[in-house]
Amino acid sequence: MTRLSVPMTAAILLLPGAGYLALLFGLPLVLAVLASFGVLTRGYDGGPTLAFYAELFGTRAYVDGLVFSTYLALVPTAVSLMISVPLAVLLAQSFPGRRLFTALNKVPLVVPGIVAAFIVMTLFDRGGTAARVLAPLGLDLPKLVRDDWAIGAVMATVWKTVPFMTLIVGGAMASINRDVVLAARTLGAGPVATFWQIQIPLALPGITAATLLSFIGGMGAFAVPNLLGPVYPLPLSVHMYVNAFERANWGLVAAMGTTLSAISCVVLLAYYRVTRGLRAAGGAR
Amino acid sequence: MSQSAEGVQIAKAGPRHGLVAADGRWITMGLGVATLLTLGLPLIVTALWSLMNPASGWFAPDILPPSLARAHWREALSDRTIPGAFLTSLLIGVCVTVLTAVLALPPAYALAKLPFRAKRAVELFVLAPLIVPGIIVAVGIGSLFFRLGLVYTIPGVILVQTIGTLPFMIRILAATIEGVPDDILHAARSLGAGPLQVARHILVPVAGPGFLAGGLLTFISSFEEFEKTFIIGAPFVQTLPVILWTYLGGRVIVFPTAAVVTFLLLAPMLLIFFLAERVLRDDVLAAGMGKV
Repeated sequence: MTRLSVPMTAAILLLPGAGYLALLFGLPLVLAVLASFGVLTRGYDGGPTLAFYAELFGTRAYVDGLVFSTYLALVPTAVSLMISVPLAVLLAQSFPGRRLFTALNKVPLVVPGIVAAFIVMTLFDRGGTAARVLAPLGLDLPKLVRDDWAIGAVMATVWKTVPFMTLIVGGAMASINRDVVLAARTLGAGPVATFWQIQIPLALPGITAATLLSFIGGMGAFAVPNLLGPVYPLPLSVHMYVNAFERANWGLVAAMGTTLSAISCVVLLAYYRVTRGLRAAGGAR
Repeated sequence: MSQSAEGVQIAKAGPRHGLVAADGRWITMGLGVATLLTLGLPLIVTALWSLMNPASGWFAPDILPPSLARAHWREALSDRTIPGAFLTSLLIGVCVTVLTAVLALPPAYALAKLPFRAKRAVELFVLAPLIVPGIIVAVGIGSLFFRLGLVYTIPGVILVQTIGTLPFMIRILAATIEGVPDDILHAARSLGAGPLQVARHILVPVAGPGFLAGGLLTFISSFEEFEKTFIIGAPFVQTLPVILWTYLGGRVIVFPTAAVVTFLLLAPMLLIFFLAERVLRDDVLAAGMGKV
């Protein structure tokens, strides 16, 4: 049997997975970027142009949609962070039923976003369970579904994101060397100081990774804001869908997709910069 | 691992990670209440909606429905759409899992065991689909699939879902294969086993739990996938999430039927989740999802 060289073997082994992604993910993405500039755009043959970007950034509804997509990425991520990091610390303590709660906390990971949206509807829509329970107490809930601040959509997203973040942050915290934490405690640091000065900094790579993925998920959120969000503004993802399948304005769709991807890429680059800084700081320590 | 005697004593006397020094039972109670409100209550309300009696209805200000019936369940299960969607979801889930596993194993091995240049670049490329929102992937591939006649077909949905599941699977398999000692692989190779035999007799058995976890996660994420399926498949390919969407997003919102579909959607997920709890370890899940 002739032996192949290592790079050759690696290339052959990489081919099925990487080739699949290159063909079905990379190629359409490149085509979309080209189409956004009027190159090979379906239903348009006027040559290279910036008209689609002009249409995107010149239309009030789309600009508001872009701002709203960013809002749907930022707010649930921030709220989930504030819940997940303390929750990860709490789940690392020893208490009766720890295993059960760790398992139950992960349940929303396997629940589809649409189900989360349905739950929010049954509980918080007008005439929903929460309103019925509070009504006899003389309390009136504000509008939470299809409201201007998309509180319902934020709630459903947070419900899905908290377990995901807790899992990753918890994993990062569990990999912190116990001796470091114990050393801090023996040297006189209180539990709160240990949390802020030892556990949070050492778990930062996990925290930033979870933040990044949650942010990107929110940027492209489609089903949940469509079901629970306000009538105006609509997130850019919904505009994308409408322009693709109801108006067949593929150049504009490509410009929207390219813009959303570009924002994700910028956030990703920022993430690498931050984590590289962290790693360098960790090495210097 | 060597730990000093004092260290052990401190560990026993002090809290595990040192934020709450109080009795653990308070944590249990707090988490219990939180879990009841965020997980128990939604499940109960959904169950009540699915069991609501259509004859008496369930209107405000009633906190509980006046009477229960199995009418919606019977209707949903006798109507062909919902069981059909369940089977479609199942079929797509199995096909996506098999396709993902076959495509992911070779690159995962290369990333875990072979030294080659540009490894970091390949790793990044493989993870890229996680960074681009699913709706962009689906709309982008939509125009390609139009030309190939793959839109509105089950194969098209399988292909587009695999784009999303492949990165996780490669990630999990690579992490698992990294844990297989090089010695056994070299021994098998030098004793004359070919690459396929090594895969069958060494890799799959030794890295079994990781493979199982990756496969189950792939199935779960296919079963619950909505956006890509909706854009490539709807309205002709109806999976359970797509059906649920039509009950919730249309002009008339049908809560009881949506509640039945929710349970059909959740049952297999939760079953897998709790049966495979030992395999779906936190570190496997985190490796699949978290590291970028």
